[in-house]
Amino acid sequence: MAESASAVALSGVRRIYHVGEPVYALDGVDLEIPRGSYTAIMGPSGSGKSTLMNLVGCLDTPTEGEVVVGGREVTGLDERERTRLRGEEVGFVFQTFNLMPRLSALENVALPGLFRGEDRATRRERAAALLERVGLAGRGDHLPNELSGGQRQRVAIARALVNDPALLLADEPTGNLDTDTGRNVLDLFDELHAAGNTVVMVTHEPHVAERAERIVHLLDGRIERIESVDAGDATGTERDATDAEGDATGTEGKD
Amino acid sequence: MRPVEFLRLSWRSIRGHRLRSTLTTLGVIIGVAAVIAFVTLGASLQAGVVGEFSPDDGRNVYGWAADPDVEGGPAAGAQPVFSEADLEAVEELEAVEAAYGYATVGTQAVSYDGEQVAQGDGLVASGPSYVREERLAEGRQFETGEREAVINPAAAGRFEENVSVGDELEVTLLGGATTTVEVVGITDTNEGLSPFEGFESAPRIYVPTDPYYAEQTDGLGIGGEGAGESARFLAIVIEAESADEEAIDRAREAAVGYLESDASDAGELMDDELAVTMQTSTELLAQLQDVLDLLQNFVVGIAAISLLVGSIGIANIMLVSVTERTREIGIMKAVGAQNRDVLGLFLAEAVILGVVGAIFGTALGLAAGYLGAWYIDLPLVYPLEYVALAIVVGVLVGIASGLYPAWRAARTDPIDALRYE
Ligand SMILES: Nc1ncnc2c1ncn2[C@@H]1O[C@H](COP(=O)(O)OP(=O)(O)OP(=O)(O)O)[C@@H](O)[C@H]1O
Ligand SMILES: [Mg+2]
Repeated sequence: MAESASAVALSGVRRIYHVGEPVYALDGVDLEIPRGSYTAIMGPSGSGKSTLMNLVGCLDTPTEGEVVVGGREVTGLDERERTRLRGEEVGFVFQTFNLMPRLSALENVALPGLFRGEDRATRRERAAALLERVGLAGRGDHLPNELSGGQRQRVAIARALVNDPALLLADEPTGNLDTDTGRNVLDLFDELHAAGNTVVMVTHEPHVAERAERIVHLLDGRIERIESVDAGDATGTERDATDAEGDATGTEGKD
Repeated sequence: MRPVEFLRLSWRSIRGHRLRSTLTTLGVIIGVAAVIAFVTLGASLQAGVVGEFSPDDGRNVYGWAADPDVEGGPAAGAQPVFSEADLEAVEELEAVEAAYGYATVGTQAVSYDGEQVAQGDGLVASGPSYVREERLAEGRQFETGEREAVINPAAAGRFEENVSVGDELEVTLLGGATTTVEVVGITDTNEGLSPFEGFESAPRIYVPTDPYYAEQTDGLGIGGEGAGESARFLAIVIEAESADEEAIDRAREAAVGYLESDASDAGELMDDELAVTMQTSTELLAQLQDVLDLLQNFVVGIAAISLLVGSIGIANIMLVSVTERTREIGIMKAVGAQNRDVLGLFLAEAVILGVVGAIFGTALGLAAGYLGAWYIDLPLVYPLEYVALAIVVGVLVGIASGLYPAWRAARTDPIDALRYE
C-alpha cells in the first residue's frame, strides 16, 4: 500500500565510488517521494544530487540499500527491465543535455518512441507537438550544434516528456536558461505537476526550488533537511512577478 | 524496433562518415571484385577453350613427341619427328585404323571471287578422316593429293557472297606465294575439330597434308632433314578401331611402341629426352580442365584472403566507431534502447557496409571480367549465381565483422557511457 502511494522510495541508499580512497557520493539516504508530488533537490556541488537522480532514473544501481521506483525494487531488476522502466516510466532531463549530435532536434525528441516501437509518423507528430510546446516550433530540423544552450535544454526537456513519463527527473533544467525561458520551462513543469505527474528537479537557485512543494537539501551525500514550501504563497509570488515583468516589457516596447 | 528503422538509423551514421565508410568498404569491394572478375573470366575462358565441347572424336588419339617434363596443352614442346613412312607403317598396325599427320600451314589472306580477307590462322592440314563424316553439313571429305578443302561455316561466311561447295578459294601463304583450293565440303560447326586446333570458334579451312604441308616444307626446308627427304610432322592423329577404351589402349600402345622403336624414322631421330605422348580428346580436356580449376582455385583463394582483410577492416572501423560513439550509446540506452536495439543498430551498420561493398565489388568485378574477356576475345559468360553469392558473402562479412563490435556496444553501461568524454 505504502509502495503504491510513493513514486520513489529510497532506504539506506549508499553509492560508493572506488577511486583510490572510497568516495561516498551518497551515504545512507532515506527518502520517499509521493506520487504526484513536486520535489526540488538542492545542495552544493559534489553533494550527490546527480548521483541520486541517476539512481532514481534507473541508470545506476546503489552499492547498498533499496531503490523502489513505481512500486518496483530496481536493484532486483535485470538490465532489460530497468531499461524498459527508463524508457516508459521515467523522463530524464540531463544536466549536460545529452542530445544525439547527428540527429535533428525533432529526431532527438522522437528517439525514445523509436525504441518503444512506435511508427514513424506517430513519433514525429508527437515530437513536433512537444517541440512546439517548449517554444521550438521552427527548429525541428536543426542539429544540436546549431542550437543555443537554452534551446538544447528545451529539446532535452521535450525528449524527456515524449513518452508521457509518470516520473520526470530534471537535473538543473534551468541552469542554462535566461530568466524568461527558464520561467517557461518551470511553467511547463507546473503544468505537468498539475496533470498528476511526479516531478523531481535539481537546482542551485532558491527561487526555482521554491516552485516545488518541498525542498530536499543534500550535503556530502546525506540529507541535511527537508523543507516544505507553502505552495500557495510561493507560486503566488512567482506568478505576480511574472505578470509585473510581462507588463513592464510590454510598456517598454511601446515607448 | 523495426528492421527498417535500424537500417535507416544505421545508414545515417554511415553517411555521417562518408570518406571513412567508403575506405572501409574498399576492402570488401576489392575482394568481391577480384572473385567476380576472375570467375567471369574463368567461365569465359572455359567457354572459349573448352566450350560446350563434348568430344565426338572418340576413337581419335592425338600424338606428339616432346620432352616428358614439358607441361602444357596438346603438342606443347613438340618436335617434328614423324615421317610419312612412319604414318604409313603405323596405319599398317593391326590395332590402328588410320594414321595421318597434323600441321598448320601459315597463311596471310584468303580471297574469293576477287574479294580478299586476312587470315592469319592458316590452313589446317591433316588426313581426310580428320573431318569426320558426321561433322559435314554439305559435300564430302577432301581427298589426299588433291587441291581440295573442307571449310567451316565461319570461313564460308566471311565474304560478301557465301562460299558454297564447288567454289574455288585463293590462299596467300605466309611466304607470299599463292595457291588455290576447291571447296568440297562445309562442316556444321565453327569450333575446332580436335584439341590441336583449340576448341574456340574461328573460321577454319581444312586441307590434305599432301600437297599443302608437303609443298610448304619443301619450300622452307622445315621438318626436312635435307633435300629430298619427306616432310616431318609435329603432330599426328591415329584412329583406333572403335571408341571403347580397350581398342584405344591397344592402338595407343601399338603406335607408341612402333614410333619409339628404332624401326621408325621418328625413333631414329628422337634421342632419349623425347617421348611420344598419345592422348584422346577426353583425356586432354580433363587435363586442361585441371589446369583451369587450379587457376580458379588459386584466384578464389587470393580473393578470399582479400575478403578476410576486408572484414578485418570493417571490424576495425566498427570498433573505432563504437568507442567514438560511446556517449551516443549511453544516450540511447538512457532513453530506453535495449541491448538488442544497440546490437541491431551496429550490426545493421556493418551489414550495410558489407552489402554495399559486395554490390559495388560485383559491378566492378563484372565490368573487369567482361572487359578482360572482350579484350582476349573470349565469349562472354554471365555467372549470375555468383552475383547472388556475392551479396550473401557481403551480408556474412558484415555479420562476421560487426558481431563483436556490436556486442561491445550493446554491453556498454549507460552511466559510464554518459560520463564518457
Ligand atoms: N563515476 C564516478 N567516479 C568517482 N567519483 C564520482 C563519480 N561520479 C560522481 N563521483 C563523486 O561523487 C560525488 C557526487 O557527485 P555528483 O555528480 O552526484 O554531484 P552533484 O551534486 O550532482 O554536483 P553538481 O552540482 O556539481 O552537479 C562527487 O564528489 C563526485 O566526485
Ligand atoms: Mg550534478
